[in-house]
Amino acid sequence: MSEGPRISRSDREARKRAMELLRAKLLEISEQIKKGNPPEILIPKRTLSNTVYDSQRKLLLLGNEKFRRNFIDLNESRRFMQTALMSSIIYNALLNDEYPTIRDLYYRGKHSISLKDEATGKVYEENTWDEQKESDSVIVDIEVFTSLLREEMLILSKEKGKVVGDMRIRSGNDVIDLSKLGHGAYAIEPTPDLVEFLDVNADYVLVVEKDAVFQQLHRAGFWKQYKCLLITSAGQPDRATRRFVRRLSEELKLPVYILTDADPYGWYIYSVFRIGSIMLSYESERLATPDGKFLGVSMDDIFGSKTKKAYLSEAERRNFIIKAKDADIKRAQEIRSYDWFKTKAWQNEIDVFLQRKAKLEIEAMASKGLKFLAFNYIPEKIQTRDWIS
Amino acid sequence: MSSDSKERFASISPAEFFKRNPELVGFSNPSRALYQSVRETVENSLDATDIHLILPSVKVSLDRIDLEKEVYRLTIEDNGIGIPPQVVPNAFGKVLYSSKYTIRQTRGMYGLGVKAVLLYSQMYQDRPFEVQTSPRGSNRVYYFKLKIDISRNEPIIFHRSSIENPTGWHGTIITVYLVGDWLRSKQKIYEYIKRTYILSPYAEFTFRDPEGNITYYPRVTNKLPRPPEEVKPHPYGVDIELLKYLIATLRYQYDVRSFLINEFQSIGEITAEEILKQAGVSSSTPASKLTDDQISKLVEVMKKYEKFRPPSADALSTLGEELITIGLNKVFSPDMVSAETRKPKAYQGHPFIVEAGIAYGGAIPPSEFPIVLRYANKIPLVYDEKSDVIWKVVEEIDWRRYGIEENQFPLVVLVHLCSTKVPYKSAGKESIADVEEIEKEIKFAIMSAARQLRLFLLERKKQEDERKRMLTYMKYIPELARSLAVFEASNENEIDSRAKELEKKLIEIVSKKVGLNDPTLYDKLKVEIS
Repeated sequence: MSEGPRISRSDREARKRAMELLRAKLLEISEQIKKGNPPEILIPKRTLSNTVYDSQRKLLLLGNEKFRRNFIDLNESRRFMQTALMSSIIYNALLNDEYPTIRDLYYRGKHSISLKDEATGKVYEENTWDEQKESDSVIVDIEVFTSLLREEMLILSKEKGKVVGDMRIRSGNDVIDLSKLGHGAYAIEPTPDLVEFLDVNADYVLVVEKDAVFQQLHRAGFWKQYKCLLITSAGQPDRATRRFVRRLSEELKLPVYILTDADPYGWYIYSVFRIGSIMLSYESERLATPDGKFLGVSMDDIFGSKTKKAYLSEAERRNFIIKAKDADIKRAQEIRSYDWFKTKAWQNEIDVFLQRKAKLEIEAMASKGLKFLAFNYIPEKIQTRDWIS
Repeated sequence: MSSDSKERFASISPAEFFKRNPELVGFSNPSRALYQSVRETVENSLDATDIHLILPSVKVSLDRIDLEKEVYRLTIEDNGIGIPPQVVPNAFGKVLYSSKYTIRQTRGMYGLGVKAVLLYSQMYQDRPFEVQTSPRGSNRVYYFKLKIDISRNEPIIFHRSSIENPTGWHGTIITVYLVGDWLRSKQKIYEYIKRTYILSPYAEFTFRDPEGNITYYPRVTNKLPRPPEEVKPHPYGVDIELLKYLIATLRYQYDVRSFLINEFQSIGEITAEEILKQAGVSSSTPASKLTDDQISKLVEVMKKYEKFRPPSADALSTLGEELITIGLNKVFSPDMVSAETRKPKAYQGHPFIVEAGIAYGGAIPPSEFPIVLRYANKIPLVYDEKSDVIWKVVEEIDWRRYGIEENQFPLVVLVHLCSTKVPYKSAGKESIADVEEIEKEIKFAIMSAARQLRLFLLERKKQEDERKRMLTYMKYIPELARSLAVFEASNENEIDSRAKELEKKLIEIVSKKVGLNDPTLYDKLKVEIS
């Protein structure tokens, strides 16, 4: 392995570890073949039925169900070949100090295989994979099969999440001060485990779903005034943002508050941060933040309750509330049935939604005045512990 | 080659009728007449050979000799038993003077065929027909030029000569001039010769057409079918005319009781007495003295009497499963052939046997309906296909039940009916009538042959599936081996050799698992990665 100056120590170690694990797993296959056995791998099943909610650890985890992928099985043969092919490409990238994206991996592995049957003159031709969806899915298989996340294999994805706050980190060989980025923010890198937390001066982490709201809060000096780290996932959180938030929570013991729209999609974003996603439950153990709290916007923020006055007036409600669509209702009912939403507070929240059929975007709160959102709504909610978990 | 070449000849009826009704014997127009002439002469040649255990060599040539009138010269040469010179004029020049009016299976049933050709010949042009013949063992070759005197039903001899036969050749060459229509009959004539060859792969045929094209069908086997034996008529098949004919040609003076016992099959002393009693005829009456009334009474009783043993099948000559298979294989080069020869059965006192052959795949052109090859007493039936009972039976078969899945499939169905009396729909002898007993046997024969087709297709499907599975794995093996080799190799240069090792091992594992033990398979598969 070349040890150019640009490669940081953490990077080097990550590569070494990933290569060793990957190699050990793949050599097992070669061993089977040499013994004359049909090559076979055991892969945990990635289905809803094999997704288990661990209520103690408050995580969505992959169950124990595994399936055997045998090369000598007409339905699995192609996928088996793809798994080995993708593994070898990832391995080569690790070996050559590269950081491929999943799209790079797609192109590197894509080629045609042609088989000519000279007995019949027929030629069978196909590609190793056709669409990126197919190769992406193979990458997930490898993650599950090797218990190595793609970040650990130094595979890059698009940067999506951003962070600002009074904090210094080391990324590569540079130290970055997250409080000195002007109007900009630090894009959370796809390999958050290579980031070293140097020092931090914050009391909590605020994650906002909407990038626009993040920018407004940033410019308003919110994080300075309230001593927090401000993060946005810009919609559905990517893995790097989730891992970054998880590390802040786990390593720095900072409380995490999550602010989304008041609708089923907002709830699910919160759920992905906190518990993990159903599709990728195998990664929850490293990505989820079980202590994360749903700060809002909640139904009683909009409508009030017996014990709480609404943040919106009657007139504002009339103007800001969006009527829920059939798809929203359906999604809400689905979410209501998930084990991890079966707390009293959440069931109540969803029931109010189903009853009122009303949703609200955070921007509506901001339109009451940015100052209201930044210096009234959010701090008050945190101070009064007005969240759902 | 020890069979007796002397056949029995007898005369019964004039020529006029046939001249007036040419369509009844298949000469309705010049194209049909040309086809029919080829057919009749070829059949005559075959009857002069294979029945007598001679491997047939038949040469047919057609030349157009008159550009204006479309007159053709048809010459047919065989290596058969030949014809004794003294009977040649009558054998050709007198209608119903024939060797065939006896009870055994021959191709031409009435013995009229060749004479119909000759009659047709002289109706539209003047040239006499020519016969060259040398019976087996004869040291001379005889040459005749003849015509038929139609009103007197007598031969007219224009020329007669003989030359020495130093080579010991035997056989007959007939040359006859015909007004015909080659273009319209071309396809049928070719089809006829091909189909004849399918059912006689022990024969060789040479055909030169008027355009000068020569087609040669080589002999594929020296195995000849068992020739038919001449048998006495069965009482169920008797009619008044036959009875009169039998009485008229008696060589001994029998009383009617001895006549019945000696001239029919399935009649013993007790049965004879019983029949005569029922017919009210005294058993001592001389056969030649029977009145018309007595004869018709006898026929009536013989038809109704229920206790006869079934007719003997000795008179029948089947081709046999082996020869059918050889013929179909030679002509169609199929992937599968099966054949079935049924046991003898009888209808109306006539014994018959049905044989069927099935050929599938290979060079057979696929179509929505099987190619149907119909034969009666080894004669291919080319015209009137759809009115034939064989067609009817084939049409009713659901081929999907035998494993055929495609809408267009390469299938040949051959059916051969052997009988001392084939129930033709007309004297043109091109289609077989619906006779329930025969229809049933055709069905059973085809079904039985088709069962082997089903087994074949099942087995083939299984093999195809196995091969397909094998191909799937084979396709991925190089890629898999190479990918795994990346982890084994300590440097780039090692990858190839490691991959080759894994590849070899994987092929072993896969072939063991799939159970396909064709060592050549791997050499025939080339996988390319690009």
